[in-house]
Amino acid sequence: MGLSDRRPPALALSGVSRSFGHVAALREVDVTANAGEMLAVVGDNGAGKSTLMGVISGLIRPDAGTIERDGVACAFSSPAEARAAGIATVTQDLALVECLDVATNMFLGANPRRGPFVDRRRMQRETRGFLDEIRASVADVRTPIGMLSGGQRQIIAIARALRVGADIVVLDEPTAALGVRETAHVGALVDGLREQGKAVICVSHDLEFVFAHADRIQVMRLGAGVATVSTSETSRREVVGLITGAASEVEAHA
Amino acid sequence: MPELAETRPGAPHAVVRVVEAVAARVRTLAYGHLAVLILTLVVIGAYAQSQNSVFLEHDNLMSILRAAVTTFIIGCAATFVFVAAGIDLSVGAVFALGAVTAGELMGHGWAWPPALALGVLAGAGVGLVNAGLVHLARVPPIIATLSTLYVFGGVALVWTDGTPLTDLPGGFADLGQSEPAGVPALVLYAVAIGVISHVLLRSTPFGYDVQALGGNARAALANGVRVRRVSTMVYALSGGAAALAGILYAARTGAVDAQNGGTDVTLSVVAAVLIGGTSLFGGVGSIPGTALGALLFSEINNALTVSEVNALYQNIILGTILALAVATDSWRRARAFRTGASHQ
Repeated sequence: MGLSDRRPPALALSGVSRSFGHVAALREVDVTANAGEMLAVVGDNGAGKSTLMGVISGLIRPDAGTIERDGVACAFSSPAEARAAGIATVTQDLALVECLDVATNMFLGANPRRGPFVDRRRMQRETRGFLDEIRASVADVRTPIGMLSGGQRQIIAIARALRVGADIVVLDEPTAALGVRETAHVGALVDGLREQGKAVICVSHDLEFVFAHADRIQVMRLGAGVATVSTSETSRREVVGLITGAASEVEAHA
Repeated sequence: MPELAETRPGAPHAVVRVVEAVAARVRTLAYGHLAVLILTLVVIGAYAQSQNSVFLEHDNLMSILRAAVTTFIIGCAATFVFVAAGIDLSVGAVFALGAVTAGELMGHGWAWPPALALGVLAGAGVGLVNAGLVHLARVPPIIATLSTLYVFGGVALVWTDGTPLTDLPGGFADLGQSEPAGVPALVLYAVAIGVISHVLLRSTPFGYDVQALGGNARAALANGVRVRRVSTMVYALSGGAAALAGILYAARTGAVDAQNGGTDVTLSVVAAVLIGGTSLFGGVGSIPGTALGALLFSEINNALTVSEVNALYQNIILGTILALAVATDSWRRARAFRTGASHQ
């Protein structure tokens, strides 16, 4: 993308390593995420995807390597610090409370107040406005999360992550356990985020989703980034080859 | 639908529409359960009234309310505990301990207001012990509070040597026995506590945090709810409310007796809160439900007495209602939520 040539990447990780005991979960991994782009991170189980997500979202501190936000070096020692730096993470468990409604979940732990009371109407109004803004369709913000489908829940979780004004969105397996139509909903939302100039980083096993929505695909294997390919210049076969290590050119990269 | 139009020509009657609107609202989770409870109260009341016309007299109704006060005051705080996905079995012991603390202080010449305040604080202190056991020692709440039920029930007995204290100041008795405008003061306290509790649970950040904590503790934590702090406050609240109820009960009866309270109080509070539609698994609960649950207890007891039914049937009836209430609530919830159950 031409954009990335002129501006520093929204998020750049260089030479990030992290070990857990004797296990090297990440080995000198480089990641570049650009504004208005979706970067998909794919790889087999144990390839280091979750650890990488953890590093980006402030959950895990790397042993080595640097992180730059818009060209400025930074380090996160907690998820709160990453959030403050404009990085919103949606974990796979979504962290929603089923028995509470959409509006309440959007403001979980941060209810707007009016005197000593929670300002319910403001919460509902802002939730409605915010969901409209990202073009998410939810019938009623007073619906308990427990009554929503998996896709709707995913959308609420993403919307909440964005509510605080993040411009980097990290999604962990957003289409796991979703049906075809719901996956399409989430895909449309992700496309909308790219159009708005957000940098989307998405860990996914769902290659169909990845090829439909990602601009670039970063393949991880055994804790290392084996290749980053442009979606338009690769094939599913090549990516699968990179994931499994069957492709011979992978060895050259590693 | 043509068939309907034949049997009911013209537009539906206004009454029909109102009934349908009410029915639709009743079918929603929150109101449905309350409606069933109110209906149960009415049916039992009608039966009692048909057996003995004393039932609906002012004095009898007041005595039903007065008897429900203890369960309700503790039940308000217990509702918070259950909504936060905890349980507090120690309330029966704290009921006694609060009264004993206040009674001993008054016995040593203290005025009743500071004695009452310290009694309530002692109860809140037991709540802190419960929270410490749960969060620091990682003892499951049911075991932690079962332990403190025994320990502090024992403390109250040892402290008084098991003998009731009756040397209490006059102002203290007024606290529990006065009846402004024919309504027992105790009932007025309970109403005030109920209103405050309802607002606290439904409209304040604390109440929202309690619901979030009980609904999904991990999600609450991930979103910045200070889970431990909220839970600790809930247990302190529960202890304070149990002590207050014990002190007010002592004021009403004019005696502090460490034998009062115990498992009877604990179990009736748990049952009243659950009958009221509060979930044992957290996240869901209401103060009005708890009020109706406490009233139902008291009404059944009274109805059996005035109908001259053997009072021994009381427990059989209450146990049946408890099982029915929780079963229907689970069933409704399973139907409402797509995941099958609201909790896992």
